[in-house]
Order: sequence, then structure tokens, then C-alpha cells
Amino acid sequence: MSTKEMSSGIFEITERGGKHLATINLVPGASVYGEKLIEIEGCEYRIWNPKRSKLAAMMIKKFNIPIKRDSKVLYLGAASGTTVSHVSDIVSEGIVYAVEFSPRTMRDLIGLCDMRPNIVPILADANKPQSYAHIVEEVDVIFQDVAQPNQSEIAAVNAMQFLKRNGHLLLSIKARSIDTVANPKNVFKNEIRKLEHEFDVGFEILDSRELAPFHEDHLGVMARVLRVRK
Amino acid sequence: MKIITWFGTLTLDDYGKVLEWDLFPKDTSALAEILVQPKKVEIDIPPACFDIRAAAIECGFVGSTEEYNTLLRDVSIRAAKKQISGGTPDMGIIQAVEALDDIDDAANTLSERLAEWYGMYFPEVGLSSEPLARFVAKYGSRSNIPTDGHLYEKATSSMGAELAGPDEELVKGFAENICTLYDSRSRIEDYLVKSMETSAPNLVNIAGALIGARLVSMAGGLEKLARFPSSTIQVIGANRALFKHLRARAPSPKHGIIFNHPQIKNSPWWQRGKIARALAAKISLAVRMDVYSDGGLNESLKTELNAKIESIKAAHPKPPKRESKAGMGKGKGRSQNKQQNKQSNKKAGGRR
Repeated sequence: MSTKEMSSGIFEITERGGKHLATINLVPGASVYGEKLIEIEGCEYRIWNPKRSKLAAMMIKKFNIPIKRDSKVLYLGAASGTTVSHVSDIVSEGIVYAVEFSPRTMRDLIGLCDMRPNIVPILADANKPQSYAHIVEEVDVIFQDVAQPNQSEIAAVNAMQFLKRNGHLLLSIKARSIDTVANPKNVFKNEIRKLEHEFDVGFEILDSRELAPFHEDHLGVMARVLRVRK
Repeated sequence: MKIITWFGTLTLDDYGKVLEWDLFPKDTSALAEILVQPKKVEIDIPPACFDIRAAAIECGFVGSTEEYNTLLRDVSIRAAKKQISGGTPDMGIIQAVEALDDIDDAANTLSERLAEWYGMYFPEVGLSSEPLARFVAKYGSRSNIPTDGHLYEKATSSMGAELAGPDEELVKGFAENICTLYDSRSRIEDYLVKSMETSAPNLVNIAGALIGARLVSMAGGLEKLARFPSSTIQVIGANRALFKHLRARAPSPKHGIIFNHPQIKNSPWWQRGKIARALAAKISLAVRMDVYSDGGLNESLKTELNAKIESIKAAHPKPPKRESKAGMGKGKGRSQNKQQNKQSNKKAGGRR
């Protein structure tokens, strides 16, 4: 068994069964959603399944993930915290602001936050950054996985309020939640165009790749903010 | 400029420098309490990219970044717990509807098993589902049927095997369990009827308690249902047909779960679509009355609906003739269409 650090805090573990993505468990001994724990040289890793996490799929698709050990991350669409837990592993000296709108999934998310020291749960609508602007500070990275028809707008308003200059936006666009019937390719093209031209915040698209076969009809997008502050 | 943060209100100058501050008490539960309260309108939110953390340290609210993280985390968790603890009556309705479906699934599976099992011992019994479960739970072996019981004749001449001892206890116990499921089902139904009548009297009056509850459950709450257009209400529950219609050239669905309403179900097919449209319109009005006005029951909706349905029935007493002839032709046309659709779908798939 061997490990190789792919990106800050994200490892590739090679064992007999093949290669897996993994992060170092911030709370050793605890498995969050039934994922496998592997101990290598005194260090416990949590296997990270790209089929369950858009961020892991982006990693495998060779995105240059900008999340570092001390990053501050705003996570929009935290759901029950599957991916959030791995982000929390990666930013062991940073903090994750996890925004989720549904009270039911917030229940699971709070269970996760109780166990981990670096997640701040926020029950709010990602459409309205003003409703949590008094809690969230300026962040290095925004990760967004919200499956809403106005995903790009949500990314723009949040980047405007919270993302630092040259900060990164990681976005997972779900074609089916923007238009159930249109061809995903066209939906993606349209969204990219929107991100590049329609918003004041000024996104520069660094990378965009489809997340198939891990997530069908999803596009991963990485962008940077080149805003001139008013 | 005066802004609010999670730890207090701050006054900033034009360059974003903190001039004055008014801090909240540094106590986790008090801070969480403030966080969940709706914010006052006259106070602004922090300007974009304002460094809240530095401000908190500058005002002396916390001593270090670590303390800031720990305190903010504790406060947020406390606040989030507070926010999700409240439940509304329609959440109870949703759970009850889902429980009803689960019980139906389970009871059906178990009843089929019981029918198979008991069939070994008394194949002539001629009962199924709930009556069978009640029967087996009551008598067990067919030899226990009293002489005046109406199945006595069949029981004495049955070709089934003898049921006795531990086998009888087992089958009887199994049947009793199924009976408690049916009991539980009827209790849930009673609950639904009662709680729908209190929280949505107008909806119950138009749609009936169980269909109403199902609509609430599928919409995800009474208020969400009130925001649906009536065209959506008309086809809730017909998702597959609706998306087939949107994607391909399939005909649009006429009704979703409101099909179970006796006014639609018991009408001939050519009136159903029209009645469904009228019913959905009234349902959407009724839900809005329940959610947004505090007045109780409004009978006029029901009278209007009945009048509308009467007029539909009067206007279309017979199946549309031309269409029924063309209906056959149309049927052919449709199947041709379908084939074309399939082909064009294939093509589209190929292009992808």
C-alpha cells in the first residue's frame, strides 16, 4: 500500500484492489457515512468515493483543486455533509462555512458538525447571501453544489459578497435542474457564457469538464474572480 | 454606516474602518438566540469582503483566531439546532401519508404470504388481504370454526392439510401481526382526516381529506402547495407522463393523483380532463384560502365547482364522435408517432 499526495490534503492510495482517493481523517476512528477507513503508517485515511462527491469527481478529472490546509471555504449546498466532511479533513487548519437550506438534511449536517471542530453550519437560502453575511467572512474558495435552476446567479451573488480577490469558485452544474429536457451540452455552453459575461463579479473560467461517468449530466467548473473592488 | 455581525453591531467609516461597536453578550446561547431572530431592517449587512474576523479581534470580542473559530462554530450549531427544532402540523401530515404508503406495501406483501401459507391448510377459504388476516387471527385452524359459521361447510370438506400445534400458533401469530398493521393503518387514516380538517378545511371540502393530504405530501407542505399553479396541481403525481410529454411528443397527462377524486374517477373518459382542470383550479383556490386567510370554511367554492362540473357534463353528454372515429385513426397515428419518436430519440441519442 502506498500513498501519494495529489493536492493539498488529498491523497491517492494504491492497494491491491486498485487506486482510491482519500483524505486524512480529522477525527480518527469515526466514519461519517459508512466510508472505509484505512490506516497507513500511523495515519488514518478516509476513502473518498467520486460517485458520491462532485468534488472528488473533479479531483479525478484532474481539476487543480485550490483548497489548502488553511483555506477558508464557503460550501453552498452542504446537504447531509458527505463531501463537507472531506473538505473539513483537507482544511485541517482552516474553516468550512456549510450552507444548507433544507431543515431535514440540516439535521444530519449538525450531527457531523458536532463531531468536527472546523465546520460552521448555516441554515439559509444560498440565493440570499445577505441572510448570512453577518456570519461568513471573506473566503478563499467557494464550492457550490446546489442543483437549482439559477445556479450561476447564486454563484455570482455569493462570490460578490464573500470571495476574496483571486479567490476560486468551484461549481458543479447540474444540467437537469436547469432544463429537464434540453440537451445538456447546450445547457453547459449557456451557463459558461453566462458566468463569463453576465455578472459584475467577473469570473475567469479556468477549467470546465464533465463529471461523467461519476455524475451524469454534470459539469464541473473552476473559475477565478478578477474583481476590481468598488 | 452601521452594520450587524453575529457578535455585535459596528459603526464603520467610509473606508470600512470600525469606529464604534456595541457587542452582544459573549454567551453561546444568547448569541445563538440573536442569530435566529429576524434582523432589523434599518441595520445593514457587512459590505462585500469586510473582514468580520479582524473586526471581532479589534473590538476585543475574542482574543485569537482560534477562539473566533470555536465560538462561531458553537454559536452556529446552537442556532441551527434551534431553527430545525420547530415542526409544523403539515410535516406530521406528510410523515403520516408516507407511513400509510409504507404500511400498504408491507401489508400487501405479508397478506400474500399469509394467503399462500394458509392455503396449504384451507385452500377453499376464499378470503384475501384484511378479511383473511382477521379470519386466521380469530380461528387459526379450520377445525375451530363454529358449526354456525358460514365457512363451516367448506371447512369440514376441505382438502387442505391439518393445521395444529406449533404450526397453528405460528400462522396465527403471523396473521395477528398483519391485523395490527391494518389497525395502525386505519388509525393513521383517522389522524389524517382530523388533522387535515383542522389545518386545511377548504382543501378537505373540495378534494377530500386523503387526496388533500397526498397533495400536501407531494408538494412538501401546505404553503408550498398554495404556491403551485393549478395546472401543476392538476398533474401532481403524473410525473412520468408529464416528463414524457415534455421530452417527447407524448400527450400531456390530464390528471395526477386528483384522478382518485370520485368526481373524476366516476366520470366517463371524455369528461375527465375537463373536470380535472376545474377541480384543480378550485383546489388551488381552496389551499390559498387555508394558508393565507384566517376565515374558516367557505362553501361557495364547492357550489361553484359542482355547478361547473354539471355544466361540463351537460355540454359533453356523449363521447366526441368525430374524435372517437378519428380516435381509432388517431390511435394509429399515435403509434406511428411513437415509432417516429423512437427513431428520432435514437437519432438524438446517436448525436449525443
